Amino acid sequence: MHGSPAWGCAARCVIALLLASMPQAFATTQQQTPTQQEAARQQQTGQPAEAQREITQPLNNAPFWRDVRAGDKNAYQTTQVRGVETNVLIQNEGEIWRRIRNGPITVFGGWLVVVAFLAIGLFYWWRGEIMLHEPRTGRVIVRFTSWERILHWTTAIAFVTLAVSGIFMLFGRYVILPLFGYTVFSTLTIIGKNLHNFIGPLFVVCTLLMILTFIRDNFIRRYDWTWMRRIGDFLKGRHVPAGKYNAGEKVWFWLGVTLLGIIVSATGLVLDFPNFGQGREAMQIANVIHAVAAVGFMALSLGHIYLGTIGLEGSYDAMRHGTVDETWAKEHHDYWYQDVMARRGRKAPGMPPKTAPASSMQEGWKL
Amino acid sequence: MARMKFLCDAERCIECNGCVTACKQEHEIPWGVNRRRVVTLNDGLPGEKSISVACMHCSDAPCMAVCPVDCFYKTSEGVVLHDKDLCIGCGYCFYACPFGAPQFPQDGAFGLRGKMDKCTFCAGGPEQDHSAAEFKKYGRNRLAEGKLPACAEMCSTKALLGGDGDVVADIYRTRVLTRGKGSDVWGWGTAYGKPETRQPAPPQAKS
Repeated sequence: MHGSPAWGCAARCVIALLLASMPQAFATTQQQTPTQQEAARQQQTGQPAEAQREITQPLNNAPFWRDVRAGDKNAYQTTQVRGVETNVLIQNEGEIWRRIRNGPITVFGGWLVVVAFLAIGLFYWWRGEIMLHEPRTGRVIVRFTSWERILHWTTAIAFVTLAVSGIFMLFGRYVILPLFGYTVFSTLTIIGKNLHNFIGPLFVVCTLLMILTFIRDNFIRRYDWTWMRRIGDFLKGRHVPAGKYNAGEKVWFWLGVTLLGIIVSATGLVLDFPNFGQGREAMQIANVIHAVAAVGFMALSLGHIYLGTIGLEGSYDAMRHGTVDETWAKEHHDYWYQDVMARRGRKAPGMPPKTAPASSMQEGWKL
Repeated sequence: MARMKFLCDAERCIECNGCVTACKQEHEIPWGVNRRRVVTLNDGLPGEKSISVACMHCSDAPCMAVCPVDCFYKTSEGVVLHDKDLCIGCGYCFYACPFGAPQFPQDGAFGLRGKMDKCTFCAGGPEQDHSAAEFKKYGRNRLAEGKLPACAEMCSTKALLGGDGDVVADIYRTRVLTRGKGSDVWGWGTAYGKPETRQPAPPQAKS
């Protein structure tokens, strides 16, 4: 019932056109009656069928009220109040939006985040941190430049702020409100909503810069398929060859940062700037897409945050200080390690490493 | 307790916008906010009809259902009110409402909309009845004075009826029987078609 007015209107228009054109076809050779002339005139001026029916069936209001649901698509629906969609008497889409948002998005979205969190917690309890097999060499390789790290942490802090404030707005009423009560929860959500709306555009800029900065080493290579097949081995801490970024990181880059990042950015901007006069339907659709993508983004990010912190020894230092130990590079990203070594003109991997010179730490920093 | 309802008789409404003016005047509503508006259908065509629309104080109110901070409440008379101190100005009630009732004083960049404002059925808000704070945020509390909404009281053709739903329905039924047409109780199916899902709460239940 709610989804049909556009189709119903279109069907009525087609029928009205057919009915209106038939007498005209017969009337080409004979003189038009006044009724036919009136019908033709109304067809030319584009007046809706209700106006014609009002003459023939003055007491039949049912089709009239059905057409009210077509909203502002009816050109003869007016109001003296200025503003966006003020001439719409009733909008049906709000009910659909409410059911989608309060239904699947809140229920399944909420459980998706909870289950993802629990699954990672369970994995950590089961396997613990993935440790390095060999001792650290003390020689370091630069993995991330200062620009990459500043950009990463700006994006990360923005992301966490957006995620937490988003959780407040979508699930807070059911989870946080009962804990804090109305006044405290509302105050927190007002702060969260404004942070969300002001940090959102910063996140859009960060997302675009992230894509430009990290795309170079994230193109899919042949060995990434091998890595994907052996993801179980990776999680068990066994050696799986990879380039600068392994296939898991590439999935996070393409699916998370790029695809979901662009989706939440675009839909978020539609919601964040009501001053451009977009209608309710645009915002409802944007909100649904935004929420679905954001919930998926949060669930994926948990995996990234886990492996970047407590899940994998040495990975946090890479983004914190920008450098990794040679052992870490060899065990997790050996193709990249070989490239770095080749560029440096050092010995190929697999050979026993030369005794580290006293200045190797300094060299590592300079690279 | 009476269940308060609005009914606009499309056969009588002459689009004078008296209800809109009465509402603005009664509550000293700022520019840009329109708690009530008149929409004309088939304007300038045979069979033109007008409807005065505001918050219909729905039984299963969508605004109430989607509010992230649950700032809406329903009085024992079925009037849907909200707490502006709790409102975060997200606009979700505006997305959900079928009647376009929720209004915002601004539509600024970065989602700065200000606190939502809407028709209160002239029943004020959660503040103390007749207090200055209540008037400033929600307008006059005519129900507490024993009066009905200003828009319906001021309607020149008595097209707009507001009050006890049973009485309103009786008046309308008599009209329809007398004139023999125009039996369309506009908006009632959408607003009151569903059963009450939440127990009415006293106004001071929150915050």
